[in-house]
Amino acid sequence: MASLGQNLYKADLREFAFVLFEQFRLGEILGAAPYESWAEDDVRMVLSECYKFVCEVIGPLNRSGDEEGCHMEGGRAITPKGFKEAFDKLYEAGWKSLGVGHEYDGQGAPRAVTLVAEEMLSGANPAFNMYPGLCVGVGELLETFGTPEQKELYLPRLYKGQWGGTMCLTEPQAGSDVGAARTKATRNADGSYNIEGTKIFITGGDHDITPTIIHLVLARVEGAPAGTKGLSLFIVPSVRVNADGSLGEPNDVVLGGLEHKMGIKGSTTCVLNFGENGGCKGYVVGGVENAGMAQMFKMMNTARIAVGIQGLATASAAYLNALVYARERKQGPSIKKFKDPTAPKVPILEHADVRRMLLDMKARVEGIRALAVKLAMHQDLAQIHAGKDDALAAEHNGQVEILTPMLKAYASDQGFRVCENAIQTLGGAGYISDYGMEQYCRDAKIFSIYEGTNHIQAMDLVSRKLALRGGADLKKFLGDVGTFAKRNAEHPVLGGAAQQLALAQKAVGGAVAAMMGWTQEGKIELVPLYANRFLEMMAETTVGWLLLEAASIAHDRLGALGRQHPDAAFYQGKISSAVYFALNVLPAVAGRAQIMSGGDDAALTIPDAGFAAI
Amino acid sequence: MKVLVPLKRVADPDNANKVKVTADGKKVETTGLEWKPNPFDEYAVETALRLTEDGTKPKTRAGEVVVVTFGPKECEITLRAMLATGADRAIRVEAEDDQLDGWLVARALKKLVEQEKPDLVLLGKQAVDGDTNQVGQILAELLGWPMATSAAMIKEDGEALLVGREVDGGVINLKVRLPAVVTVDLRIVAPASVYSKLTKADFKYNEGVRFAPLPAIMQAKKKPMAVLKLADLATDTALRIQYPRFEPPKGRAAGKKVKDVAELVDKLKNEAKVL
Ligand SMILES: Cc1cc2nc3c(=O)[nH]c(=O)nc-3n(C[C@H](O)[C@H](O)[C@H](O)COP(=O)(O)OP(=O)(O)OC[C@H]3O[C@@H](n4cnc5c(N)ncnc54)[C@H](O)[C@@H]3O)c2cc1C
Repeated sequence: MASLGQNLYKADLREFAFVLFEQFRLGEILGAAPYESWAEDDVRMVLSECYKFVCEVIGPLNRSGDEEGCHMEGGRAITPKGFKEAFDKLYEAGWKSLGVGHEYDGQGAPRAVTLVAEEMLSGANPAFNMYPGLCVGVGELLETFGTPEQKELYLPRLYKGQWGGTMCLTEPQAGSDVGAARTKATRNADGSYNIEGTKIFITGGDHDITPTIIHLVLARVEGAPAGTKGLSLFIVPSVRVNADGSLGEPNDVVLGGLEHKMGIKGSTTCVLNFGENGGCKGYVVGGVENAGMAQMFKMMNTARIAVGIQGLATASAAYLNALVYARERKQGPSIKKFKDPTAPKVPILEHADVRRMLLDMKARVEGIRALAVKLAMHQDLAQIHAGKDDALAAEHNGQVEILTPMLKAYASDQGFRVCENAIQTLGGAGYISDYGMEQYCRDAKIFSIYEGTNHIQAMDLVSRKLALRGGADLKKFLGDVGTFAKRNAEHPVLGGAAQQLALAQKAVGGAVAAMMGWTQEGKIELVPLYANRFLEMMAETTVGWLLLEAASIAHDRLGALGRQHPDAAFYQGKISSAVYFALNVLPAVAGRAQIMSGGDDAALTIPDAGFAAI
Repeated sequence: MKVLVPLKRVADPDNANKVKVTADGKKVETTGLEWKPNPFDEYAVETALRLTEDGTKPKTRAGEVVVVTFGPKECEITLRAMLATGADRAIRVEAEDDQLDGWLVARALKKLVEQEKPDLVLLGKQAVDGDTNQVGQILAELLGWPMATSAAMIKEDGEALLVGREVDGGVINLKVRLPAVVTVDLRIVAPASVYSKLTKADFKYNEGVRFAPLPAIMQAKKKPMAVLKLADLATDTALRIQYPRFEPPKGRAAGKKVKDVAELVDKLKNEAKVL
């Protein structure tokens, strides 16, 4: 039972090592540029030390942060007890510099490694990790688009956690429709701008952790075009910063209020009023106007991957806790002894339905992790080949484009459902706050909403990503899955599962054709109607594929090591999750393709007044 | 001060169910096990670091901490973790786990102490795998050095150490002349339990062992790691402790319900024979 200050977070380091080294062969890219300072041992040690850190420093603040929440005092936001100290310890220990380049005193780790470390940081305390996460996000954006002066001033301080960061897109009338933003920027003679407007729902918009916060604000310069094309991105410190990095006057960024919300209660969600008193100065990123949306997209892509990781992380923590509970809680006899009233009570882990829930959680968590690491490996490989083999680099980048909306949407939707199943596994205890499961579930719900709702992700996939480079990325993706399925169709253990994968792959191809048909036949409104389900089909096919890939590796290792080996159960578990997913989840992919081919449009044709008589 | 800390990796005590015995019962299967540094040895390293610094400036080292382990190459990751937390040098003595016993390790350590000439040898009071609790004591005897076991407090006091030993019913305070051998207990990593000459008496450490910061983890591989042969340190490598057979512990038998205290007392007396 958890109490104030107790860490609940758990990670399976064996699984991390499997995904990185056995499945995605990270070892092959270590030791050579740009990862010359990295070896396999470094990765293992970094992950186990990071795990120690999160369990001892940030995990213990997860429940207390949820209970205490954030509040306002004298117009400022106050974070839960211990957050500031943990933030300082995090930067002292350097965990946020793992993926930061050597030129900014970072460790230049491969994305795949940073991703796994981020899973632990998020999983131990998702609300807390938003604050440092935004420092990195703002830093990365300025590293890509900032002027040399902007980089010099902001980057070292953001990367070292001395200054906070936010991304300010949302306004009352501009949520999913970012282009509707009304925040105004007026040019000053000295090259700066006066910023005026209200942003809402801003994560980390105010807090008591850093002395200034670098807001990245989307605003429209007077006279700029309407819509997203006319948006520019501004650097707006909450307390002004001088050229030498010292702090100056407050910058007329006023905290209008803190939202009360369902989860991630330790993270502030703020209404921010910029320039209420005419004294808010901003600086346009990179010195160019009307490039805001393109620039913000860079941060959003990174942030979307990060949100996928949040979903994965929370789900994984919930699953492992449910597993531990199921091993200990005794209830009822084994069904094999249902006639014997004196039969011993067994741990609920022995009951078929509990095992089903646990295996379902395991398969989804591990499959999504494989998807995430696959994406990160494509990023790493794109970087390795850039400038040497640009065609190959473009191919890897194309896969990143396709996998990003899938990771964001599928990991966040499934993450929430895994948490829900974790509650169910515990029964009544799952509903009781002391056990932590209900918090995981509440925390996880936001992941399908912010950074572009999951429908926005689905539309990004079907209307933009599938068509990129003339459809070449989709073709490569379907080709990779198809080749794998064919090669393993006769596999002694995984053959039946591989055949299900082949059917799912075919169904995805068919669904793409159906959507193209709708577009040509003037039935374009069917595309958004089915987009979320299409994304889910494609993500499930990916997860099924990567689970089977893992299982085939596990099968070979098991053959080589024998069933007496201490790792045997681990490898058998890998095979079980792949087979379960292929035979219990993948058939629904083809089922959904069939639904799509029917093209039902009841949701479109129902009269508005027909939804209810209220 | 120069401190030598011998340490051992042990099978992860949180994953004890992974520990298996080979089919012939001749040895414990070590492949595929998750390893951790023996917790008491980690405390010894933390103690050594505290004794060689000013607590307010842990980045400036005042003295030298050398860590040594006996084992195959994969043990180097355990040593590196210690280098990352602040130890200066590491030594690995090449050996297989089943080529070692406490007597052999203590004799090899004696030779190493003669080469390294530390002022202090700090060890964990025992390793949580075999729980034999003997290497420190044998080593002190072989060296003819003063010894204090199960330390919960150490204060540097001129050329000596004040050591608070954890004993049944309290703490015994000893003054130990250097060079000496000291083994440490759990409470040695409390906030106010270890003070070097440089650390002010009102300074409080964080509870527990320190974290290895990420940059230090990456730089640890640049610190010196020497590899020695067991035969260089001990001429006679025969084992004194023989393990004829291993078997996993039996599962616990189901409990019994008793109807009253009288029956309980009776069973404790006549069945369990503990009264
Ligand atoms: C806790 C929290 C933290 C947040 N942090 C930040 C932050 O740091 N910075 C920031 O800028 N924003 C932040 N947001 C805002 C968040 O990104 C938005 O809430 C989100 O983008 C959705 O916008 P909305 O709430 O206005 O919903 P709406 O856009 O009104 O959407 C409502 C529903 O309509 C659907 N919908 C909307 N438009 C369309 C369309 N064109 N076609 C089909 N369906 C559509 C949506 O998918 C959704 O289901 C945060 C929100 C929360 C709750």
